[in-house]
Amino acid sequence: MLEVNIKRKVPGFNLDVTFSVDGEMLGILGPSGSGKTMTLQCIAGLLRPDQGLIKLNNKVLFDSSEQVSLQAQARKVGFVFQNYALFPHLSTIENIAYGMRNCQRQEIFERVQTLIDKMKLEGLQNRYPRQLSAGQQQRVAIARALATEPEVLLLDEPFSALDSMVKKQLELEVMKLQQFYSGNIILVTHDLAEAYRLCSALAIYESGKVVQFDQKQKVISSPVNKQVARITRCTNFMDGIIAEIRDSSVWVMVPDLGINLKVVANDHRNMLVNQAVTIGVRPEYIRIAQGPGQNILLSPLDSVVESIATINCYFCLDTVSGGRYYLETIFPKSDAQLLSNGQKYYLYLPPEHITIISD
Amino acid sequence: MIEYLSPLWISLKTVLLTTAITFVLGIAAARWISRYSGKLKALIDGAFILPLVLPPTVVGLGLLLLFGKHGPIGQLLSPLGMTVVFSWPATVISATVMAFPLMYMTTKGAFEQVDSNIEDAARTLGASEWKVLRTITLPLAWPGVVAGSILCFARSLGEFGATLMLAGNIAGKTTTIPVAIYFAIQAGDMSQALYLTAIVLFIAFASLAALAYFKKPGKQIRSKSRTSWDATSNATGKQEGYD
Repeated sequence: MLEVNIKRKVPGFNLDVTFSVDGEMLGILGPSGSGKTMTLQCIAGLLRPDQGLIKLNNKVLFDSSEQVSLQAQARKVGFVFQNYALFPHLSTIENIAYGMRNCQRQEIFERVQTLIDKMKLEGLQNRYPRQLSAGQQQRVAIARALATEPEVLLLDEPFSALDSMVKKQLELEVMKLQQFYSGNIILVTHDLAEAYRLCSALAIYESGKVVQFDQKQKVISSPVNKQVARITRCTNFMDGIIAEIRDSSVWVMVPDLGINLKVVANDHRNMLVNQAVTIGVRPEYIRIAQGPGQNILLSPLDSVVESIATINCYFCLDTVSGGRYYLETIFPKSDAQLLSNGQKYYLYLPPEHITIISD
Repeated sequence: MIEYLSPLWISLKTVLLTTAITFVLGIAAARWISRYSGKLKALIDGAFILPLVLPPTVVGLGLLLLFGKHGPIGQLLSPLGMTVVFSWPATVISATVMAFPLMYMTTKGAFEQVDSNIEDAARTLGASEWKVLRTITLPLAWPGVVAGSILCFARSLGEFGATLMLAGNIAGKTTTIPVAIYFAIQAGDMSQALYLTAIVLFIAFASLAALAYFKKPGKQIRSKSRTSWDATSNATGKQEGYD
């Protein structure tokens, strides 16, 4: 269990974050410059927060009220740096063994060998970092961090320097890591898809603040504000007014499009009739319907962007105020083959997949 | 012949001791200033480099004022029966002060070139500051450290102005090669001057060759990393190449 609640001020930037990890993998997601790496450095003891508390498995690493700040050396935190930071003058085996102390040579050798097996580094023992590919360097860096048996493993953008093939492979390995490493893992990334695949919980960062910290499914299905929704690729926003609340359904009037949308909202305690809200619809949930009905919009197809597995379609609606509103959808390729530009289609926005964002 | 060799012997003793002292002091000061982030950083940095920009005679005069009979350090030492001025240690002190900035600046530059993430990685792996310096920073900054040492060696070999001010010219005691050359010319003894000049030329070329040899990054790094690990795991991974 790692608990973090820290503040750190530097000119032009204010870090103020709170989150915790309990034996799982937490993804810290946010744009560059939002304080993700700084948080990791504070946990590892490489930077000193101005105030707050960092607690790892009931051991206090940092506590400003008690004037406690353990040195990086004593924290048992494994850090995998973005550029791996391997020791260029040491071989693979020496890199991995660097942090092992207080044990017999034979024991060191056996533990290094175990890590070499687990991280698939057989045959590379005597290579120097410059003789390794980026993926191999990455695996050495993880093995080196695990060698000290850390209680938390920090991965700082571990896949950012890799091409997509190697990246897939390493993602799988990091996923498998959890089978033999039972400590806490924090993964810093700016790639939502990557964080979603690997982590169970997400902390969304925005200029030094955690704007949402929750299970990953929850972050995707109910983002707390527009920023989070945008980071999680919820691309269709509409401004509306709550028209009616009944049972677990809320009707939202979107005046600009002249439509009354039904939304399934199990928790509408904070909502009031006539309240102005923003609603968001994730593009992958929008479907083509056969005819008019509740939550169905008629709209001409404006443009199509073809990806490898999916097709993104942009539908253009005329708004009441005379502007244009573009609705993004993602269809599986098989469903989208027959669509043609300019033609009008009925689009169904499923009530259970519309999110009401209060701000 | 013996008196011809005396300046060489004095110079060698002075230069070797000076290089050793500046090696330790320069690394310590460079390490300390790179990790220090107080308000006085620029001031201290400037003070360390000052002897390089001042005329050697001015530095010599400063040292004379410090170590002289009425100077603060001189007064401290005189009850112990020690006088620095016009003694052999004075050649070491003046050469050290003059050479120190070169070691300090070169080493500091080399330390700054080392990726701080690599040092941080060592810290998170539990390495003490001393171990980080010894096993990571120094090996990675080694070409710069060697260059600084050789510059110090050369600078202290050529040290004249400050030495003359503080140590004077006492034959067989404080007369280093540059001082001896100067006074040989003054006395019209051209053959001794040329003889000493030949020696200096030889040492200068030798130190340049040493610089060229040690500055190759692979040199020190390779030999350092040949630990006993290689013996235990010789069977695998000997093939060279990249993938």
